[in-house]
Amino acid sequence: MSTARFDELIHAPTRLEIVSLLAAAQWADFKYIRDELGLSDSALSKQLSTLESAGYVQIRKRFVGKRPRTSASLSPAGRQAFEQHVAALQRIIARSQQNADAGARPSSV
Amino acid sequence: MADTGTEAVAELAEIRRRQEQVIKAGLVPFWYWWVMAAAIVVIGAARDSGDLVVEAVVIPLAALVMAVLAGTKIPEVRRRVKVYSAPQSDSRVALATIGMIVLVDLVIISVAGSLVANHVHHPGTIGCAAGAAVLVIAGPLVNAYSRKVMLRQARQQLTNATQAGGSTT
Repeated sequence: MSTARFDELIHAPTRLEIVSLLAAAQWADFKYIRDELGLSDSALSKQLSTLESAGYVQIRKRFVGKRPRTSASLSPAGRQAFEQHVAALQRIIARSQQNADAGARPSSV
Repeated sequence: MADTGTEAVAELAEIRRRQEQVIKAGLVPFWYWWVMAAAIVVIGAARDSGDLVVEAVVIPLAALVMAVLAGTKIPEVRRRVKVYSAPQSDSRVALATIGMIVLVDLVIISVAGSLVANHVHHPGTIGCAAGAAVLVIAGPLVNAYSRKVMLRQARQQLTNATQAGGSTT
């Protein structure tokens, strides 16, 4: 079972979008990710390279006919990091709710 | 780091939104069912025409449209993204799809058959129109069911992550 761990690498807005998209997919085409997130080719390549270097993403290049096709998927380590990050977010929410409840409670004299 | 609960809530909402986006992209579009249904009605009408030339041209043409549509649209959807799903979810969706095809065929055969037995005109057209009507209703329902199964699974993925123990760092 994985532990809750806030991941700064995933937390960055664009990377969060990419990882969230990939978490719901076994794999996704490069163009699909680019279009869905409204990124440029270079911006997406840069973010995917960062995630790949961290071992979170696997890039697959293949040819369909004569056309090159690039797809990306979360690696097992990436999926685990994503799940740990989600758990960390839930923990932050629970903690802030507890704090709000404690603040709302009238203090006994 | 997301310091506040509000930021964390926003981040989780973003994750859910992206999950839904992927699931939606993994489904065939709404118009797909209408084109398939139209082709079915055309086949029925051609059969009723009684004209061998019309039958010989229109029926293979309509069948070709259906085959090309199924052979291009479904792989096109699969080429973009493959939704993360457990084998049991896949089998439930496959069963729903097969059930829909069987239902459409049964409706066409039973309606057309009973019309032929009662000497009603245009049994093929009416039977196929009935089957097509079932398809345009059941197709989006199968889509909605697939979406629901996949979303439930995606939510489960988040819940499982939440139930994981440990501390934030």
